[in-house]
Amino acid sequence: MVDSEQLIFERSDIYDQGRDRESAMDPVDVRFPIKSSPSTSQTSHLALDIGGTLIKLVYFSIDGNEDDRGSDVCETSRDGEFEVVHGAGASPVLRGRLCFAKFETRNIGDCLEFIRADNLHYTGVQHQHGVARDKTFVKVHATGGGAYKFADLFKEKLGILFDKEDEMHCLVGGANFLLKTVPQEAYTYLDGRKEFVQIDHNDLFPYLLVNIGSGVSMIKVEGDGKYERVSGTSLGGGTFLGLGKLLTKCKSFDELLEISQQGNNRAIDMLVGDIYGGMDYSKIGLSSTTIASSFGKAISDIKELEDYKPEDVARSLLRMISNNIGQIAYLNALRFGLKRIFFGGFFIRSHEYTMDTISVAVHFWSRGEAKAMFLRHEGFLGALGAFTSYENPEPQTI
Amino acid sequence: MGGPGDDSKNDPILEVNDELKQQDNKGGAEGSSGGNKAKAAIQSTARVGGERDNMAPASGNSIHRSGSRPQLDLSKAAIQGSSEERDPTILLPNQSDDISHLALDIGGSLIKLVYFSRHEDYSNDDKRKKTIKERLGISNGNRISYPVLGGRLHFVKFETNKINECLDFIHSKQLHRRECYPWNPKNLPLGSGIIKATGGGAYKFADLFKERLGVSIEKEDEMDCLVAGANFLLKAIRHEAFTHMEGEKEFVQIDPNDLYPYLLVNVGSGVSIIKVDGEGKFQRVSGTNVGGGTYWGLGRLLTKCKTFDELLELSQKGDNRTIDMLVGDIYGGTDYSKIGLSASTIASSFGKAISENKELEDYRPEDISLSLLRMISYNIGQISYLNALRFGLKRIFFGGFFIRGHAYTMDTISFAVQFWSKGEMQAMFLRHEGFLGALGAFMSYEKHGLDDLMSHQLVERFPMGAPYTGGKIHGPPLGDLNEKISWMEKFVLKGTEITAPVPMIPSKTTGLGGFEVPSSRGSALRSDASALNIGVLHLVPTLEVFPLLADPKAYEPNTIDLSDHSEREYWLTVLSEHLPDLVDKAVASEGGTEDAKRRGDAFARAFSAHLARLMEEPAAYGKLGLANLLELREECLREFQFVDAYRSIKQRENEASLAVLPDLLEELDSMSEEARLLTLIEGVLAANIFDWGSRACVDLYHKGTIIEIYRMSRNKMQRPWRVDDFDAFKERMLGSGSEKPHPHKRALLFVDNSGADIILGMLPLAREFLRRGTEVVLVANSHPALNDVTAMELPDIVAEAAKHCDILRRAAETGGLLVDAMINPSDGSKQNSASPPLMVVENGCGSPCIDLRQVSSELAAMAKDADLIILEGMGRALHTNFNARFKCEALKLAMVKNQRLAEKLIKGNIYDCVCRYEPPCRC
Repeated sequence: MVDSEQLIFERSDIYDQGRDRESAMDPVDVRFPIKSSPSTSQTSHLALDIGGTLIKLVYFSIDGNEDDRGSDVCETSRDGEFEVVHGAGASPVLRGRLCFAKFETRNIGDCLEFIRADNLHYTGVQHQHGVARDKTFVKVHATGGGAYKFADLFKEKLGILFDKEDEMHCLVGGANFLLKTVPQEAYTYLDGRKEFVQIDHNDLFPYLLVNIGSGVSMIKVEGDGKYERVSGTSLGGGTFLGLGKLLTKCKSFDELLEISQQGNNRAIDMLVGDIYGGMDYSKIGLSSTTIASSFGKAISDIKELEDYKPEDVARSLLRMISNNIGQIAYLNALRFGLKRIFFGGFFIRSHEYTMDTISVAVHFWSRGEAKAMFLRHEGFLGALGAFTSYENPEPQTI
Repeated sequence: MGGPGDDSKNDPILEVNDELKQQDNKGGAEGSSGGNKAKAAIQSTARVGGERDNMAPASGNSIHRSGSRPQLDLSKAAIQGSSEERDPTILLPNQSDDISHLALDIGGSLIKLVYFSRHEDYSNDDKRKKTIKERLGISNGNRISYPVLGGRLHFVKFETNKINECLDFIHSKQLHRRECYPWNPKNLPLGSGIIKATGGGAYKFADLFKERLGVSIEKEDEMDCLVAGANFLLKAIRHEAFTHMEGEKEFVQIDPNDLYPYLLVNVGSGVSIIKVDGEGKFQRVSGTNVGGGTYWGLGRLLTKCKTFDELLELSQKGDNRTIDMLVGDIYGGTDYSKIGLSASTIASSFGKAISENKELEDYRPEDISLSLLRMISYNIGQISYLNALRFGLKRIFFGGFFIRGHAYTMDTISFAVQFWSKGEMQAMFLRHEGFLGALGAFMSYEKHGLDDLMSHQLVERFPMGAPYTGGKIHGPPLGDLNEKISWMEKFVLKGTEITAPVPMIPSKTTGLGGFEVPSSRGSALRSDASALNIGVLHLVPTLEVFPLLADPKAYEPNTIDLSDHSEREYWLTVLSEHLPDLVDKAVASEGGTEDAKRRGDAFARAFSAHLARLMEEPAAYGKLGLANLLELREECLREFQFVDAYRSIKQRENEASLAVLPDLLEELDSMSEEARLLTLIEGVLAANIFDWGSRACVDLYHKGTIIEIYRMSRNKMQRPWRVDDFDAFKERMLGSGSEKPHPHKRALLFVDNSGADIILGMLPLAREFLRRGTEVVLVANSHPALNDVTAMELPDIVAEAAKHCDILRRAAETGGLLVDAMINPSDGSKQNSASPPLMVVENGCGSPCIDLRQVSSELAAMAKDADLIILEGMGRALHTNFNARFKCEALKLAMVKNQRLAEKLIKGNIYDCVCRYEPPCRC
């Protein structure tokens, strides 16, 4: 018997894989059950989520002393924590870490090189069975549009055959996995304060999952494998970076985010106060600092693009997109009577101002009744979902 | 009879052939006095609903129905038809002046101005009509007052950065001075008036208004104004709202009693989403900061466009796929059908701008503009849908400057609403969307009286400049005739690129009339062809819904649906082809002077432009029907002061027909009752043929007199006709067996053409009804249209006919038609009182067709006792009202003089006859 509860996670130190990677997420220590069935040998412990903008990787890295076979209870000494594995029975358990990496999709060559260099697609298999690399193809779970688009490339370059996992299914799988198994995965962020939220595993569903990638998907999740894409918007991370690039000459998402921190959107947004001469339009509940029209000041000025500070432009852009996502998410949560909204996806990147804006939007539109929550592993939901689908090919019911 | 080819030279709709009439002239009539009087009648004016007697207790001032609502004083009301000012507006001069005249919406880019005008001058009472009413006592107390004033609402736009143009305009019209606060003139010295205004600029420019015009701006709440404006438009203007899917506009009729609640989405710089529950009952429930300002702001930064319109224009040539990331880009061209997304769905707006090594300069501004437009429109549509869903609202109306009638914007918003609602909700747009705020500000005057206006009291007219400016009229409209002509001449001389969407035959004498219009490509005046035009709203409180309509809500006047492309093209072409001939006639009607030629040229250009505009955008003037088209033509003629293009033709024809009438009556009187009835109906159908003119008929004319031709065509009316309910009608009239049915109490005869049609066809039929004791009301046009007989001409015609017929004479006397048309001292007996009256009323319109939702109150009053209506002629019985059902009996008589219509309507052929008799509808 195998289920996800056999996986043991704990936080570990920040993990830095190396220069090839753009950035890294916290890896998660894990004990990974190995199925004794022959099919196990055909699987890899690598999964990919190839989006329009970024490629996200989740892979399993073995600690070394992997063979705790047959133990019902095991101990890890890391961070002095003591954990128990239930119901492992006679299954072999691999102990190691789940590692996270990402690449820009346009730099897909780097990603291929990274996988090849570390033989990631053979991880686990090699250890378990000592199978040497050969010309046989290895199946790797992959999701995202790129799983289709780049299937041939991966096959040709790395001998990887994609098991294409449904994107939405993976997102939900990843989110459910994280919310149920990783303590302190979810948190709120308001007024600069991060607050972890303890989610009762038995009272998790239903919730709204908002995945902000290049575009935005909004998914109503009612259980493991029980979900529906109820909405979305094309104003997402791709819009931020795309428009941002055109407007500011920033080269990367992070650079754009970085400069937005120093910006002031008042220079370019038309505020309620700009229209009503500094007074609040209190009759309809709008304060003078509310944005009446994003980029609205750019129309009346005689200024050209060069006359605006890139910082201000980036800030306005960020607020526009974050606010819009927050609003549409709230309206959808309202529509289905959902109490919790989790935001994930690469747009957020734990970027404080982004989270703050989304939180404010949800707070504003719900009149304080709804709270935006974020996930620590937000960018890797899809990849994680693809990864866990090795173990849970079929939807589970609790 | 001639074949279908014969009608090519003549108007196959509702036209006469003057050649035929000229021939007829030599067979001539002596009754020239009738002709002179007809001329006199044209220049006189007619009272409209002028129940002075009933209004008397109010001592010439307004009668207050209740509360503070201003009432209408109808004394001295008149149709303005004098030689100086020939505009057809019905004027109501004796008002207590309690109406506001100007309101503004001063936005960041545009100033929208709504003003009300009415004309000061008026003419004397028409004694004859007054006497008719006195005699008949029909000026009953049923319609003593109207809640609103007659006049016109004008909609004008100025660019905010050219505010001086706006101030000059207001100043030139003395709008600020004369009557902006006129109901309390004693307390307010001249020049210290108040103008209601809304929009951000109402504060900003307050000092400027004070300084330049000496008026104070009174700021009205923006949201209040928006909602008031929208409520007014949706209730008072038929087909104000329309849907817009894949480039197709479809007008939606909103039941004013089932309007609320609805969602109003105003897309200005930002977006306000307002839930409207009723008059003055609304709540701003949501909004978004991604709005028109975002489009323009980002657009300016990204494309260097200088104006909003320029940016919008660019988007039309854009391809957003170069910059947006589509679902297909992510999934390698396949649909992600599992979640209902097609490959062309935008996954991420501007998403492609990230992955390529392109700079801003490497993208086409057109593509950027389109991506922006789609992003913002789609987002607005989505958020609006979510809010409508939240409150369970069925209808979402979108307005605000961002929309501007722009097709792509509307399509994108519509698509978003449809997509997200899975087809359960529809986005709707408003024709007057840019004027919601200004209209609302106008409504905010305490005593405007507009609240109670109903759609049937409003007539929208499109002046000559409309097709050139599209929906965007900037600057002052041209008022003076000379200005108009000069503008037309100058405009064409400028050599603006001309397109000819409809083939046009070369014109004859005037050298003009080609199907000319500046194309949307070449014209700087219009940036988007799909922008709808806004006409001048004529408020005509005297108009009423014809009370005998069985189901006014379901009533649709037009028989042919011009939203069908081939129908539209056909009729527009027909009108276009006939234009040179019409211009010739019009010019000839005014003596062929240089001035008349110049006006004729201008008319031809203006009307061609209208047609081209409608060809390009059928919805430009609202829901398009053939009746509207024909009326537009008449209005356009009037605009260039062609009062009555067929005047001389009508006179000749009347005289000729009157000359032979005695012979005809004698013949009829010699027949049995049964034979006579058939002959009379045949006669109506036969006389209706005089309205066309085939070569065959002209040939006939060489051979005989009008009576011979009339008889010849009558003899050709072989039954059964294509639609033949004569037997049923006969049974109703004469009964079947020994039992004689009751005669009708009152018959309304909607008459068509002058000449043989009225005199040899309808008058003898009217006489038959009179003979049977039925009151007869001849219903004729208020204003000339083609060669149709008008209500002003009829009394003279009747008087002339009555000279030779006792029945007509006595009936006309009873009906008061002979008062000053003909002194009748000879027998002077009072035995005449036994005769049922023959009366004449005007129908309230000046079109060859009739929309029975908007008829004169006189006609409406007359209809109350009527139990039979007879609609005669193609315009009123076929093009319109063929499918109309009535509460009383109806007889529809016409000869089909158009092959296409014959095939469409009755599956028959040209010259087939229609005699449709319908018992009262029991719906």
